[in-house]
Order: sequence, then C-alpha cells, then structure tokens
Amino acid sequence: MSKATSGTETAVESDRAVLRTDGVTKRFGGLTAVDDVDVEIHRGEIVGLIGPNGAGKSTLFNCITGTLTPDEGQVYLQGEDVTDWPEHRIARAGLGRMFQETRVFGDMTVRKNLLLAAQEGGADVGNLLRRPDDSLLSRTDELLDYVDLAGLAETRAGRMSFGQQKLLEFAMELMSEPEILLMDEPAGGINPSMLENLIDYIRNANEDEETTIFLIEHNMDFVMEIADRIYVLAHGERIAEGTPEEIQNDQRVLDAYLGRE
Amino acid sequence: MSTSDEDSRGALRSILPPESVDRFLDACNDHGWQLLGVGTLAAVSLPLLGLEAGYFMTVITEMFLFAILALSWDIVGGQTGYPSFGNMAFFGIGAYTTAILTKDFALAFPVAFLLAGLVALVSAAVIGVVVLRLRGHYFAIATLGVLLAAQQVSRNLDITGGASGKILLQTPSGEAFYYLFLAVLIVEMGVVYYLSSTRFGFVLNAIRDDEEKATAMGFNTTYYKTAAWMLAALFTGFAGGAYSLFNTFIDPQTAYNGAWNVELIAMALLGGSGTVAGPVIGAFGLHTIIEIVESYAVGWQLVLLGGAVIVTVIGFPNGLVGTLREYASEMEYYKHGGMAAANADDAEVSSDE
Repeated sequence: MSKATSGTETAVESDRAVLRTDGVTKRFGGLTAVDDVDVEIHRGEIVGLIGPNGAGKSTLFNCITGTLTPDEGQVYLQGEDVTDWPEHRIARAGLGRMFQETRVFGDMTVRKNLLLAAQEGGADVGNLLRRPDDSLLSRTDELLDYVDLAGLAETRAGRMSFGQQKLLEFAMELMSEPEILLMDEPAGGINPSMLENLIDYIRNANEDEETTIFLIEHNMDFVMEIADRIYVLAHGERIAEGTPEEIQNDQRVLDAYLGRE
Repeated sequence: MSTSDEDSRGALRSILPPESVDRFLDACNDHGWQLLGVGTLAAVSLPLLGLEAGYFMTVITEMFLFAILALSWDIVGGQTGYPSFGNMAFFGIGAYTTAILTKDFALAFPVAFLLAGLVALVSAAVIGVVVLRLRGHYFAIATLGVLLAAQQVSRNLDITGGASGKILLQTPSGEAFYYLFLAVLIVEMGVVYYLSSTRFGFVLNAIRDDEEKATAMGFNTTYYKTAAWMLAALFTGFAGGAYSLFNTFIDPQTAYNGAWNVELIAMALLGGSGTVAGPVIGAFGLHTIIEIVESYAVGWQLVLLGGAVIVTVIGFPNGLVGTLREYASEMEYYKHGGMAAANADDAEVSSDE
C-alpha cells in the first residue's frame, strides 16, 4: 500500500519482485528441510524450481503460502512481509496455488468450483449472501470454453477424469486472477499430448493475463522449455540459479542429480 | 456387472428414464420458492380443514420438529461435512431457557422463545471455537462430549430442577405449537435454500469437499464453519425452546436426548444430506414409520432405526434425494461429450475404469 510513497529505486525494485524470500529456513526436528533459501520472482516471469526428491521444494512452497511458518527468514509478497500471515490471508492477497495432487471440490458442480474461485469482494458479507451475478457466470462459460470443458458445467467435478480435473483446477486459478501462481508439478501424471496443451495454457496465462508463475517440476523437458529462470534446491539449500542453459551446464546441479555430494 | 443386474437397470431406465428424473429435479430446483409456498399453504390449511388438536396434530407437529432438527444438523453435518453428535445440546439449552424464563421469571412465552434461540446461538459461538478446530471422528466425539456435559450440568443445577426436571403447566394450545413449529421450519427451509445458491453456501460445500484447498483459495474456514454452526444452533434452539412447553415437561434426559441425536442424523442421511428437501423428507418419512411401529410393535422403533441407518449407509449413501440426483445425472457426463471433451486424456480414463 505504501510502496508508492517511497519513490526510491529500491521501491521500484521490490515492486518488480512479486515474491521474495529472504533466508527462509524450516526445520522438522533435527532435519533442516529448507536451509536459508533466497528466491526472487519478478513480475511476468515463469520461474522453475527443481531438485532431487526430498530437496525441500514443497516445503519451501508451504512456507511461502503460509501452510507452514518458517523458523527463520521472511517472505515478501509484493513488497509486504507476509511471513506470519495466515494462509487464507496470503491467498487473498494474490497468491494462487495448485497442489501436487489435483484438488477440486468433487461433490460440487464444475461451475460452482469456478464461481468459488472468483476472488473479487469475496470476503465481504454482502457479497457472500448474494447470488453470483451474470458477469461471473459468463466468465465461467468463457473459461470452460477455453479449457475445452464446455458442456460439463453442471457435472459433478468428481465425476471427471484426472486430466479434466487438472484443467478445471487450472481454470479456477485463471478465474481468481492471482498476482502469482505457485504450481506444484503441473505436468505430473498427465499424458504427452495433454502436456502440449498445458504448456500453451500456462504460456497464455503468463502472456495474456500477466500472471507470474513459480513452478516445481520433475519433467526436465517441460521445465527447460517453459521457464525463464530456474532455481535448484538440494538438501534444502539453494545450489544454483540461472537460465535453463546455465542450469543444464552447471556441475553442481549435475552432481546433485547424480547423487554426488 | 452381471447380466441380470444390467437387465434390471435397463428395466428401471425404461420405466423411469433418467432424463425425466433430471428434468423433474431441475424443475424442483428452479421452482424452490413456489414449492415451499405450496407446501406452506397446504400445511397452514390442514387445521382449517378440520385437523383438530389431538393425536394426529401432535404427530404432525413432531414431524415439523424433527424436520427442523434434521435440517439444522444438515447445515453443519451435510453441507459443511462436520457430522455432529451434539446438536441436541442446543436443543436442551433452548428448552431450559424457555422453561426457566416462563416458570421462574414469569416471562411471556414469545419473548422466552426468542431468547431461547439467542442463548443457543451464543453458546454455539463459544463451543464452536473449541470443537470446530477438530475434524472427522475427533469432531464427532468432541460434540458427543459437549452433549453429555450439557446434560450433566442441567442435572447438577438447582435452577434447571436437577434430575427431576421441570413441569410446565401454563402452555399455549396445541394449535399454537403446530403453527409455531411450522413457521420455524418454513423460515429455516427458506434460509437454507437461499444460502445454498450463494457464495456462502458454496464455501460450506467447499469445506466439506476439501477444507485445505478452500483455505489455500483464501477462505478463512473457521469463520464459515462457526457461522454455519451458529445458524444450526439458532434453529435447534428455537425448536428446543418451543418443545419444553409443547411437552409440558423437561428433564435432562428429554432435553439432551442422545437417541434423538442419532435419529435426526438418520433422517438427514435417509432423505439425502446436503440438500434442503432431503432432511425434511427423511424426517417426515422416518417419523411416520416410527409412529406406526410405536403403535403396533412397541419397543421395536430403535431396532428399526438402526436397521434403516445400516441399509441407507450401505445401499444409498447419498440418501433418497442424492440417489435420485445421481441417477438423473448418470448419463449427463457422457451426453455432453464426457471423455471426448478433453480427448487427450482418453488413455487415463479407460485405465481408471
């Protein structure tokens, strides 16, 4: 809110950083799952987060979204310190999240899933007690058309196939128009031809809707193709950062993936 | 699977085509207010058409009462996915509120009745903060604990008349109670029906389906759960507040009746939880059956209740309304392209089957 008032270069710089973590550390008992990690995601970027299993990628995501509170360090969303905010408030402030396992509201219709995702005025009581207006309804139709689920609006979301649910979850994120979208393995478990579609959808969301995207991915072809920049985690530490080309040629990254210390 | 099963399903489809069931349910859904109006009119005119105070009026009044309780349970148990075994606590709180206020403080019944709802509402806010942190089985057990504790409190206090309870002699007429319970039920049905098409109702359903996801989408679920719990307590409190005088007697056993709590859950499940009509239909149907069994086979009503719950949970987990709805929409997914709608993932779908 106050970022416009301090007209220095640092303010401009932090404005560009939609998301920034500063020395985030998370321990579980004796295990340091995330160790002093700094990341900075700028507006309009698609940034990948890779690393071997157990590297702390999902834990870092959980610290950012507020599901977990970091033991040390700060998380800034659009320049604001959100480290101690509850999860729902961080989400409300413009952070969207897609889970590793697809999660939609299975006993609700596809349309209700989408209506729920719309963020505008979501928290005020008057809005809660009103029926969704026509502009929201037509927006749901548009989005369903876009992800090829038109005609399934009144179907129970749980009846659809896994791939369709994944598309619905993605459409829900488009509906909520987050400033930044965290995706945990979007390509996990979907077949190659749908992967092509997904890449298009993510690119379009990034270009047309100006959604900044931060994604965890194990599929290297996918992440190398889509990401502008990549962070690499291993044993909770950030071991590398750079463009896909730089990462592919980084010896530490190769070592980490091959299991060498 | 088996051919005979296929045949019987085919026969069922030709007698009762899913499409017409679908159309019927849609029509009901679209004309909810009109249906509610017609139902109200019918119920209001019964006494005018000659239903006199007596056995039948009492039975119908009790049907309204149980419908209120089942629908209240369903706001939290069905719509929000938090099955409570302690709803009767708010019934007891309401019942004792009117009993004490009318007898010991000589307050007029209408005032005491309104206060009963209010006291239940406030109690729910306090209790909700504690128990709504729990989920699933833990929540169920905790709410049962609330019920038992509330019962014990009323046993120990002087103002509640201890274990021997309170006898209430100055009560309105049977007809007044008929209209009072009816009014509470109609208002509650209207409120739940309206809420189910608002964002608030969507959030409750979202909490039922996946609370963590709802939180990640920016909903403070504690706030919504507590609101739903308070709404349920308000109507349960009204029902209890009217019941003590309707029954002319209240004691810890009747006010905080655990068996009733099971009964109203059975009603909601039988009828179809998560809907407006389901719990009401379940309450009307089950109460009628229980009354018949009570008249002709005294002592077997609880056995019947247990049997009905088992059959429902195994055979029709979605209840009457839910089963119909599922049946109606069974073809819809395929009709609208189903798999073809996202043709790329055909492979997974077939491996799922």
